[in-house]
Amino acid sequence: TSEQPESGTKDEGVPKKQGTAIICLGMAGSGKTSFMQRLNAHLHEAKKPCYVVNLDPAVENLPFEANIDIRDTVKYKEVMSQYGLGPNGGIVTSLNLFATKFDQVLKLVEERSKENDYILFDTPGQIEVFTYSASGTIITETLAATIPTVIVYVVDTPRCTSATTFMSNMLYACSILYKARLPFVLAFNKTDVVSHDFCIRWMKDLTELDAALDDSKYMSSLSRSMGLVLQEFYENLSAVGVSAHTGAGMDDFFVAMDGAVKEYHEEYRPLLERLKKEKEERTQAKKAEELEKLRQDSKGSVVLDPSNKETLETPLGDLPEGEDDIEDEEEELPQ
Amino acid sequence: MRYCQFVMGPAGSGKSTYCTSMVQHYETIKRSVHVFNMDPAAEHFNYPISWDIRDVITVSDVAEALNFGPNGGLIYCMEYLVANLDVLDEALGSFEDDYIIFDCPGQIELYTHIPVMKRLIDHLTGMDYRVAGVYLLDSQFLDDPAKFFSGMLSALSTMITLEVPSVNVLTKMDLIGDERRRTEIESFLDPDPRYILEILDERSSAKQHGLNAAIASLLEDFNLVRFVPMSKDDEDMISVVQQQVDNCMQYGEDEDVQIPKDLDDVPEE
Repeated sequence: TSEQPESGTKDEGVPKKQGTAIICLGMAGSGKTSFMQRLNAHLHEAKKPCYVVNLDPAVENLPFEANIDIRDTVKYKEVMSQYGLGPNGGIVTSLNLFATKFDQVLKLVEERSKENDYILFDTPGQIEVFTYSASGTIITETLAATIPTVIVYVVDTPRCTSATTFMSNMLYACSILYKARLPFVLAFNKTDVVSHDFCIRWMKDLTELDAALDDSKYMSSLSRSMGLVLQEFYENLSAVGVSAHTGAGMDDFFVAMDGAVKEYHEEYRPLLERLKKEKEERTQAKKAEELEKLRQDSKGSVVLDPSNKETLETPLGDLPEGEDDIEDEEEELPQ
Repeated sequence: MRYCQFVMGPAGSGKSTYCTSMVQHYETIKRSVHVFNMDPAAEHFNYPISWDIRDVITVSDVAEALNFGPNGGLIYCMEYLVANLDVLDEALGSFEDDYIIFDCPGQIELYTHIPVMKRLIDHLTGMDYRVAGVYLLDSQFLDDPAKFFSGMLSALSTMITLEVPSVNVLTKMDLIGDERRRTEIESFLDPDPRYILEILDERSSAKQHGLNAAIASLLEDFNLVRFVPMSKDDEDMISVVQQQVDNCMQYGEDEDVQIPKDLDDVPEE
């Protein structure tokens, strides 16, 4: 906290610099945490400091040091035993508890984003805990409203060699894209095991994907429609192959990152602001409408219905008596 | 014919509540059902369960013995079950009037990354089961068309790996107090994809319009845009959900065959 005034004065002289928040998402086993470690190491090597936030309450050992760690605030095992929850419920509840304090995290992050190029967020291994929970939505939305935010979806490339898994993974990625409404970078991880070239080919060329699918009827008809989605998807976002293990592809990743940040400023930020404004206007309009309704109602009851006058008079008549009581007490007290 | 439904959906989407409501509902309509718990990390249930994966293996066992985290533990448990399917067969064999609800864990990895659920379903189809998937989504998260799209896509990503007919259910409709939001959500339940597309295009950047269109046509082609609403205490809604699931697995189509078979069984006993 002692640093805060210092960075505040720095801000006045230097033109405002804002780091980018990277939210790392991926299914369990996709190598999300190793990828984070690689990002961290790469940035340190390039002498670009970064700030790390861990949001996974259930992780046993982090291979890197987190500046903010959910585990310092919420003890996942205690949450489980205190609330009588299973592992999954424990993670959801821990994250919810943490989200109630997220405004404090946000303040810190905003402050630190002035001196760090990137702020990395590691998310729980159970991807749906983050994507389909109230707390995940709160964290993503408030973050995106504060600093440039990019979603990185880490894909387990070797597992995608099965065309069905690949399609399923891409659909899930689409699902996150629509939910988060933020720039999106696909990171095909573990390219040291299998090169991600085949994924790119499948996204670009429908016939290749078709050939890779089993000859089940359901799948082949689905893949035809799916091919179109994938092509559009591919055109819309940057896909890079990376290896958290060897560090290959990290430069490509940061090139994609720069593109995503540009996208954030040019397209997503104005969109988010427009939507926010629209939402505010809607609530304003609703408030005004309700107020008007209330006014109409009260007008109606007072003017149109004379019988109500009596009910109105009685509480008014009661009031002086009540006041007398209070006065009596006050008089008695000093004595 | 034997029937089963797989109840799926992300954590907190109301799977267990769905099972509770369904068990009560089937009791009222006098259909005998059995619930099998497939989540090795589950804690407690509000309904009687006929079989429990936790009797075979639990995540906490695995976590202690093998030092796995919650995720690794779950995957280990499910793979263990698939490797020892005879345990499940034994449990399945004991029911004659077969209608089984599988209360499944929510982790998406079980459906996409490792083929456990697919293998389980293949095994059941091999045993002459008719399988239907029920995918649950929490209505509270679907407050705009983009999130609706997102929900459909997550349902689809689970469904394509299982290759079973399925019903999408929107749960917790009773928790939506605001009348206007409720009507908005209801307008998306059985929508015209072009209508959704229009709203979606308006609320997304121009670059994304192509993707919007492609996904809208995908959902249209597969008739996956439909969601059935449900509140846990609304008997009418529950009944509609039940009928949809029945339709989806063609329940009772060959009931005539089943009746003589049952009668034959009586003298033997």
